[in-house]
Amino acid sequence: MSSAGVKLALVTPAPKAQLRVLLLEDNQLDAELVLRALRKGGWDVTARVVQDEAAFTLALRTYSPEIVLADFNLPSWTGMAALDVLRSETPDIPMILVSGALGDVTAVECIKRGVTDYVLKDGLARLPEAVRRALEENHQHALRRQAEENLARKVEELARSNADLEQFAYVASHDLQEPLRMVAAYTQLLSERYVGKLDENADKFLGYASEGALRMQVLIQDLLAFSRVGRSGTPGAKVDCNAVMQDVLKTLGPAVEESGAIVTCSELPVVWGERTQIAQVLQNLIGNAIKFRGTEPPRISVQAEKEESHWLFRVADNGIGIPAESVDNIFVVFQRLHGRTEYAGNGIGLAICKKIVERYGGRIWVESQVGGGSTFKFTLPLQPPDQPEEGKP
Amino acid sequence: MKTGLRLFLVDDNPADVGLTREALATSPRHSAIESVADGTEAMAFLECKGKYASAERPDVVILDLSLPKKSGLSVLAAMKDAPKLRGIPVVIFSTSQLNDDVLRSYEMGASCYVSKPGNLADFFAAVKSIEEFWCDRVRLPRQGE
Repeated sequence: MSSAGVKLALVTPAPKAQLRVLLLEDNQLDAELVLRALRKGGWDVTARVVQDEAAFTLALRTYSPEIVLADFNLPSWTGMAALDVLRSETPDIPMILVSGALGDVTAVECIKRGVTDYVLKDGLARLPEAVRRALEENHQHALRRQAEENLARKVEELARSNADLEQFAYVASHDLQEPLRMVAAYTQLLSERYVGKLDENADKFLGYASEGALRMQVLIQDLLAFSRVGRSGTPGAKVDCNAVMQDVLKTLGPAVEESGAIVTCSELPVVWGERTQIAQVLQNLIGNAIKFRGTEPPRISVQAEKEESHWLFRVADNGIGIPAESVDNIFVVFQRLHGRTEYAGNGIGLAICKKIVERYGGRIWVESQVGGGSTFKFTLPLQPPDQPEEGKP
Repeated sequence: MKTGLRLFLVDDNPADVGLTREALATSPRHSAIESVADGTEAMAFLECKGKYASAERPDVVILDLSLPKKSGLSVLAAMKDAPKLRGIPVVIFSTSQLNDDVLRSYEMGASCYVSKPGNLADFFAAVKSIEEFWCDRVRLPRQGE
């Protein structure tokens, strides 16, 4: 049903079909021969024959031909000038040159400029087939153009709905902070004032209420941080990852020391991005490697190597590893594999890493085995981003 | 015992006004706190108009940014435009952490910008440090001279 609808909307050439021809030809005999060749080839032709620009333009507007056939040389005009007029009037009607012998160079030039085909006047037997092919090609073009337009519209819709969602997440988390601050502050005030003055249950309830409010504050802060990834600046500056690593190790210093971690790092490249965001990716990955350590002190190696179109970074550890069924889930916002009492955190770190890496046109994934450590890999393009857009290139 | 400040609080959120009063309730400085809930009222108070005809000039204004009727920044602008009010220090006390808000506040003559902390202990500490700073550390213009 729907494909029939599409076909109806477009020009479909069929044998024995009617054909409206606009013929630019000053020689009446030649015009007659052209039309006869078409009829002989199975076309039910109606035609308007014109000789100059004014008549040609008028016919384009009033006669609505399906195809234009044009002589190359006319007394007062040329076929190529006619092509320019045709294209300025409509992009959809194909044009075939029907002419005496042209040099190869001229013929190629004509095709380059948009003539669909070129038929010699002493080879008119080929004309019906040339017309059929031109219409078919035109039909395919129209289909492709329509498909491309549909695709472009869908992409635009998606981008818009994505932007709307981000805006929503940002506004929602931002506006939720204010009332939540009241809840948190006053439950805390209640606890401070009245703990021990009511009964045991009341103390417990107040404790739950303030704990919940505080946890929600952290969640909302995280959500805000997540939705800010796509909002801050343009990722177009050069960032020296070696310097970034120095900062990251300084920030993680206490955790490194406390866990006895050994972090080794190869020479890292200069990449395109925003320094704080690149730092955040490395810090989250290294921080996780320390947090999810096994019984041994963590050994973490950070490396990068150049591949065809991108840098490939690896952050490898000897930690507890990740079950195979979870390797994709871990990049989803607020996804946690462990209980809150086992490992602290809200499950926002890797989601932020993914968002940052993809913002720069890269990819992030993990290779891991339970008990066998994890290797997080991510790519960053060698080239600066053309457009600071979300998503993969 | 120290004499406190005459504080003027402009905040539409009664919960925050309550917390601010709580924070200073046990202070040894005995600050007087008066408050209004929108920008228009704030200007009426400062200019001693209408029901505020006998209002006393505050030492420090603590001003929220998002206010009904007349925004915090408009109040700030109006104060800095008025020769009689221009000399009163204005502490912006807001939830907003947007750099734009901070920058504009200072550009328009705010004395300082303090973010409202989300946590009770931090909120109390912030309010107390505002009072302590303006009461103990800073020399303020004497009134009526």
